[in-house]
Amino acid sequence: MENKKSSSPASFIDSTVVPGDVVLDLSSMTNQTIKLGGGLRQDCDAIPAMKAGTLRFSKPNKYWVESSQKRYVPCVEDTVLAIVVDSKADNFLIDIKGPALAFLPVLAFEGGTRRNIPKFEVGTLLYLRVVKANFGMNPELSCTDANGKAAEFGPLKDGYMFETSTGLSRKLLSSPTCPVLEALGKKLSFEIAVGLNGRVWVNAASPDTIVVVANAIMNSESLSTAQQIIMVEHLLKNIQ
Amino acid sequence: MDVRLANTRRLTLNEKNFIKTALLSEIRTDGRKPFEFRNIIINFDREDGYAEVQLGQTRVMGIVTAKFVQPYQDRPNEGTLSIYTEFSPMADPSFEAGRPGESSVELGRIIDRGLRESRAVDTESLCIVAGKLVWAIRIDIHILDNGGNLVDAANMAALAALMTFRRPECSLGGEDDQEVIIHPPEMRDPVPLIVHHLPIAVTFGFFDESVVVIDPTHNEEAVMAGRMIATVNANGDICAIQKAGGEGVSQRVIMQCLQLAATKAADITKQIKAAVEAYNKERALQMIKREHTCVDTNVKEGEDQTLDNKGISELVGKYMERLKLISGESYPSQNINGEIETKSLKRGTDIHGIKFSSTPLSWDPYSKGVDPEFLKASVALQGFSTQNKKKESSYEEKPSEAERPESYEDVNPNSSAVDASRIEMQMIGPKTLKDAVKPKNKRKKKGSSMI
Repeated sequence: MENKKSSSPASFIDSTVVPGDVVLDLSSMTNQTIKLGGGLRQDCDAIPAMKAGTLRFSKPNKYWVESSQKRYVPCVEDTVLAIVVDSKADNFLIDIKGPALAFLPVLAFEGGTRRNIPKFEVGTLLYLRVVKANFGMNPELSCTDANGKAAEFGPLKDGYMFETSTGLSRKLLSSPTCPVLEALGKKLSFEIAVGLNGRVWVNAASPDTIVVVANAIMNSESLSTAQQIIMVEHLLKNIQ
Repeated sequence: MDVRLANTRRLTLNEKNFIKTALLSEIRTDGRKPFEFRNIIINFDREDGYAEVQLGQTRVMGIVTAKFVQPYQDRPNEGTLSIYTEFSPMADPSFEAGRPGESSVELGRIIDRGLRESRAVDTESLCIVAGKLVWAIRIDIHILDNGGNLVDAANMAALAALMTFRRPECSLGGEDDQEVIIHPPEMRDPVPLIVHHLPIAVTFGFFDESVVVIDPTHNEEAVMAGRMIATVNANGDICAIQKAGGEGVSQRVIMQCLQLAATKAADITKQIKAAVEAYNKERALQMIKREHTCVDTNVKEGEDQTLDNKGISELVGKYMERLKLISGESYPSQNINGEIETKSLKRGTDIHGIKFSSTPLSWDPYSKGVDPEFLKASVALQGFSTQNKKKESSYEEKPSEAERPESYEDVNPNSSAVDASRIEMQMIGPKTLKDAVKPKNKRKKKGSSMI
């Protein structure tokens, strides 16, 4: 789309970039700290994009490239839904739908010591935060927030988990609330946890509520707001 | 190794428990009822013998090809049918390229048994020269996406591909009638296979507490305790049953499953046939367009196809010539091969039960003697059959052959849309053929190709 390399970053924000596009030129911005999110790399004074997607900017100084895929590229400070694969002496091996298995240190829990290491069965679903995500290395996760508190992280009990694209999971977490969730929330009561790696967990009192919520979310991927609301109504009619 | 580990699809304990408990209340995760099949979409995009089936998220592609081989020693006058499966790694992270896994071999065997043991494909009609040359039909099944229940989808793809596959017509000729001439598709229409019935595979998944579901998805397959695949055709005949290990199931449940399979098989057969028919219509329409470019007339699709007078008289002229040849011919005894020479043509009505009015009562395309002038005329016009000794290939030709003489008759009375009538014949042809007949008896009398 944008072929000209303009020096003002504003021209690229919210537009499509492809790998190689230089989105920021640092020589024009001095005495500023900017944070680079996923999909951007620093190359001396230029910031080229590494992923194809839309360039986003959030105040005061954060830039990142947003795109929707089935697989997840780990990014620091993301919250993800992970499955335990194996447990070793020092870490749990965790699957986060990324290019490599991630490590969850055995002590990365609130009040975690060598004496009270939690025991997770293979296949347990956990809600975790990404601490380290470097290219080529296994990502590292944690079950606490930045201050060391548990803060909702940890294993999720019961319910049902399904997989979506990363774009859809971002939409579900956006504010204002995603139309699908709003429409569902008006009629049904349920609990959901959304991982930025494209996994969603739903829990409700009865199985058919869970099934309706799961299917509604899965269907809402490519629908506009109005279509989503209509689709939800349609589904709800069928179960009532 | 690490990447493979990271890519494996895993099921959480939450999912497993949920699927099991939901099934106890007859709820499935995609909202289906326990005995409901997913949405079936059948595509025939490209050539004959290529079919792609989508069963929910599962996608399978079936391709049918044929070539000449020597027959097996113990079956000298039957063609062969073989099935090859390929589980592409893009379908599922657990599929490895190259070596077929256990499930891949099982899938191939189930489809093979369904087609071969039930004699769904007529192999005797694939013989060209007994003991020396037969057609070998090869079905390739490619799994494109694994969303669960690959067997059913692959079976449907194989059947759909078999039904739209056409092999080149071949006849014996040459000096001592021992040479096999393969006619290119431009000269003669390729000929469909004779498929007597469609064996449909229906998969049942068994869970704890005697819960049974049909058409399990990938998640349900990971959770289920056992499975059974029943291959049934629309008549209710059981072609094959496969239950390899898994939880034990009582006899009563098995009988119920078989009855259910028969109902589902009837539905799916209807769907496959409808899709095949739509494809054949498209194909016939495309053939009209090709024909018209040859004859150089303006033809629009649809009812009112009018040709210029010039074009018509040209066509009429050619057809008249042929008719003269037909009626002028006195063919000597056609009973070389005894019963098969379906003299239905002689009797004034053809296989399709369509009466054609006039003369060629003695015309039989399958007799020995062929007039050389006749041959010349036939070469000039597409697809007129000449002699054909062997009974086996005669069957496929008959439907296409019989259609053409009828269209010629129709030209004479009405000078309109010659090709429209031809198309009509071709479309009526397949329909009536379908309605007919049991294989063995009718084959000898009518030579219809059953679907």
